[in-house]
Amino acid sequence: MWMSKTWLVQAFFIFITTESIGKLLDPCGHISPESPVIQLGSNFTAVCVLKEKCMDNFHVNANYIVWKINHFTVPKEQYAILNRTASSVTFTNITALSVQLTCNILTFGQIEQNVYGITVISGLPPEKPKNLNCIVYEGKKMMCQWDPGRETYLETNFTLKSEWATEKFADCQTKRATPTTCIVDYSPVYFVNIEVWVEAENALGKVSSNHINFDPVDKVKPSPPRNLSVSNSEELSSILKLSWINPNIKSVIRLKYNIQYRIKDDSTWNQIPPEDTSTTRSSFTVQDLQPFTEYVFRMRCMKEDGKGFWSDWSEEASGITYEDRPSKAPSFWYKIDPSHTNGYRSVQLIWKTLSPFETNGRILDYEVTLTRWKSRLQNYTVNDTKLTVNLTNDRYIATLTARNLVGKSDPSVLTIPACDFQATRPVMDLKAFPKDNKLWVEWTAPNESVRKYILEWCVLSDKLPCILDWQQEDGTTHRTYLRAPSQGPMVRTKKVGKNEAVLEWDQLPVDVQNGFIRNYTIFYKTIIGNETAVNVDSSHTEYTLSSLTSDTLYMVRMVAYTDEGGKDGPEFTFTTPKFAQGEIEAIVVPVCLAILFTTLLGVLFCFNKRDLIKKHIWPNVPDPSKSHIAQWSPPTPPRHNFNSKDQMYSDSNFTDVSVVEIEPNDKKPLPDDLKSLDLFRKEKSGTEGHSSGIGGSSCMSSSRPSISSGDENESAQNTSSTVQYSTVVHSGYRHQVPSVQVFSRSESTQPLLDSEERPEDLQLIDNVDSGDNILPRQQYFKQNCSQQETSPDISQFERSKPASAVSEEDFVRHRQQQISDMVQSSGSGQLKGFQEVSAADAFGPGVEGQGERFETVGVAAVIDEGMPKSYLPQTVRQGGYVPQ
Amino acid sequence: MDLRAGDSWGMLACLCTVLWHLPAVPALNRTGDPGPGPSIQKTYDLTRYLEHQLRSLAGTYLNYLGPPFNEPDFNPPRLGAETLPRATVNLEVWRSLNDKLRLTQNYEAYSHLLCYLRGLNRQAATAELRRSLAHFCTSLQGLLGSIAGVMAALGHPLPQPLPGTEPAWAPGPAHSDFLQKMDDFWLLKELQTWLWRSAKDFNRLKKKVQPPAAAVTLHLEAHGF
Repeated sequence: MWMSKTWLVQAFFIFITTESIGKLLDPCGHISPESPVIQLGSNFTAVCVLKEKCMDNFHVNANYIVWKINHFTVPKEQYAILNRTASSVTFTNITALSVQLTCNILTFGQIEQNVYGITVISGLPPEKPKNLNCIVYEGKKMMCQWDPGRETYLETNFTLKSEWATEKFADCQTKRATPTTCIVDYSPVYFVNIEVWVEAENALGKVSSNHINFDPVDKVKPSPPRNLSVSNSEELSSILKLSWINPNIKSVIRLKYNIQYRIKDDSTWNQIPPEDTSTTRSSFTVQDLQPFTEYVFRMRCMKEDGKGFWSDWSEEASGITYEDRPSKAPSFWYKIDPSHTNGYRSVQLIWKTLSPFETNGRILDYEVTLTRWKSRLQNYTVNDTKLTVNLTNDRYIATLTARNLVGKSDPSVLTIPACDFQATRPVMDLKAFPKDNKLWVEWTAPNESVRKYILEWCVLSDKLPCILDWQQEDGTTHRTYLRAPSQGPMVRTKKVGKNEAVLEWDQLPVDVQNGFIRNYTIFYKTIIGNETAVNVDSSHTEYTLSSLTSDTLYMVRMVAYTDEGGKDGPEFTFTTPKFAQGEIEAIVVPVCLAILFTTLLGVLFCFNKRDLIKKHIWPNVPDPSKSHIAQWSPPTPPRHNFNSKDQMYSDSNFTDVSVVEIEPNDKKPLPDDLKSLDLFRKEKSGTEGHSSGIGGSSCMSSSRPSISSGDENESAQNTSSTVQYSTVVHSGYRHQVPSVQVFSRSESTQPLLDSEERPEDLQLIDNVDSGDNILPRQQYFKQNCSQQETSPDISQFERSKPASAVSEEDFVRHRQQQISDMVQSSGSGQLKGFQEVSAADAFGPGVEGQGERFETVGVAAVIDEGMPKSYLPQTVRQGGYVPQ
Repeated sequence: MDLRAGDSWGMLACLCTVLWHLPAVPALNRTGDPGPGPSIQKTYDLTRYLEHQLRSLAGTYLNYLGPPFNEPDFNPPRLGAETLPRATVNLEVWRSLNDKLRLTQNYEAYSHLLCYLRGLNRQAATAELRRSLAHFCTSLQGLLGSIAGVMAALGHPLPQPLPGTEPAWAPGPAHSDFLQKMDDFWLLKELQTWLWRSAKDFNRLKKKVQPPAAAVTLHLEAHGF
């Protein structure tokens, strides 16, 4: 359908197009040139020639021609009448790129009529392409690029041409997306000169670039060296040997290299002098490196004579130089415990770790020797950076060496003077001053030569005791600064609460401490607020910020202070949550409980006072629909379930009539009832459509079609209970069956509902009526009322299956068979013909369990004949009336 | 003193004159006409490049022919390949060849070999093999042009192809499949030998043509004094 519509539209469109072309095919004249392309800034003349026929038709000649450019009339000064039929127009210095030029005639009544139109396109001829250059990627094809020159505003084609002295190669046409580069289709042959040029062509001209003649091997960009590897040497800690695999082109040309290296954490590359790597090779030894340092290398190559292009850089490779013995002796100093006992003094020897540049490897331990005057050596091996020894009051010489895998550092020698030693030439003019954020210390050197200086200092503080710190300086210096940490601590949050945050940080590594950390300061602020500072003792690694605002972004940074100054760590941000942990639960749970409790109380109250409430709000109004005189359910064999239910619909045609037959004097209720039943059945057709009058409207007549019958206890009960409300006059004598039954309305204004007053009975009845499915009576009414709606289904079914031909039992079996077939075949989806029709009735309910729809009334009429006992309307599952 | 000063002035003037005329000395002014030297060097490089190309190409092609052709010690008799130009030549004969003859033999050999090679190209099965054969053909074509260039530079005429000797490598019904493969084998082998011989030829030519550049400087110094 959609397709055909599209075709139709297309056909229509084509029709329209053809129509318009047809009109255009016979214009009144024409313009020459037809589709001109002119150079920008040049002059242009167009001529419009009218046809004789047209001129006769409209009584015009060339004088009537009006030129228009982009719908604006061209001034008459630019026109020239060539003869009776032709008029020309001239434009000078055209600057527009594209103009619509139309030739019109002024017909009778000053009406302009279009004769012909052309589009004038202007542009520039191509400029000679410049800077043509080619590159040959190793193992790939050759690519050339050039500078196309000025914009032409026209479609310009570039063609790359190449040839040998003896042979021409295929042209290389540029792709539209890359008009200034072209990749030739063949692999170029090295060592044979090739001549290459590029031709640019558009509607206004064709121009070719200068020819370049080169040997493709001189334009090669090699692949980078592969598999670069680095190895160290145990003999020499200052070298690393690089080896690599050269690109394949090495077998054709000679190569030179660039090798670059850097320390791993550094970012600047150092280059090995190019003259050292100017010949083809596959390995190189880099010298003058620092021991025990990781270096990263990369390299590239190109043709040895420098013609061509450098390759890309190779992949980086790294290696660690071998360890060397520590290059420097550690700073060495001592402290003497002032309290000395019986000729001994406790001396703490202290030293500082070497910087990573000086250790040249991993420091395994320190060796300390102590020599007293003319006594033997005392050796200590220490992992720590301090050693406490008990010494006599004599003068001692202490030496310290740091040891790594390769060897020992030079020794640091320290003289521990005798107890009674008096220093004679103290350092003079000691000054301290801040400069450049550092605390500088300056002194005057004594006249004698000095081996080294030791600076000792401590922080003057009311809170802190004077803890001495120290640093060692060379004997030649006379000024230095106290070293502050070079890096601040990295602060982070350990836990963030609504009003507080626990911050934690790591101790700074010794290398960056540059002294003793005296304290930390934590600065924190909100985005708008002021910065708050908190001082924290250096022994802590954790601090709790309290009295924070909830749901706020905080920025925290931390400064570590030594005595000389502090250094900021990186800034850290965190956001306090809106609610503390568990706060939401604490609010929500009690509220929910309160609501629940209130509801419960209310329900309890209502329950207790339900009578009172009922009296006030719900006065007892009799429900006429529930009024009945008798209730009765005949016993029906279970196997007739389907049929009796089918009957329901057929019966419902008559349920508008409530028939009550009461013989108060009857001594044998059963036969009489049977008789009356027969009677009733005969009367059916006659009484159809009559209201019983008890209920009112036909639908509302009775919740249950109360047809009395000789059922044992129930009917007895019901009749006894209903007899007082409705009087039924059996006008004939008991043996004479009257032709017409007489119904009389009950005169009572009392509620007719015994069930209203005796709910137990109703319940009992309901239970009896429908084993497990108890349906409110109202539902049955709905079924009755909706009979008209269900009837199409019935007819459909009847059409598909003439029920009259099938006996009831057969039919039931057949139906069941069908259903089971349906269910079975539903998976494969093979529902056809009749089955398909009945599937609409049977399969759906069978699967979905909607019992009411299962039955059809059309069948019930048939069954009615054979099953006199089951005429009572019943439904199997949800209908609520199951024959007992 | 004066005499010495005048002397030195004269020497300076002489030196200046020499320097002034230096660009005009043809031996130093190499930019104008490079002579046949560079093109011979290039041809030599090209033969080496072709040798390199052929090594990998022959490996692939012989594998494509299958055993026994791809066995390293396979050395069949030269049966059907009589038409192929022979590269092997007596050492004495080779030494006695003059430049013109040397170049002519090379040129003729490669023109023939190229023709045969194009026949090979048509038979190759895989696209990759066809591609590398095509590239090798183009390169060999380049070598031919290069040799022609050298010959032109040295003033030798190009040998005219004789119309009767135009080789036809038509795989006729007379050739059995095995013999065909044998021919292919010999073609590659002969190509290899020719390239090897050409490398030697051009190396010899190169040495011969190289100008004695050092003599010029000596001459100038002598002039200065």
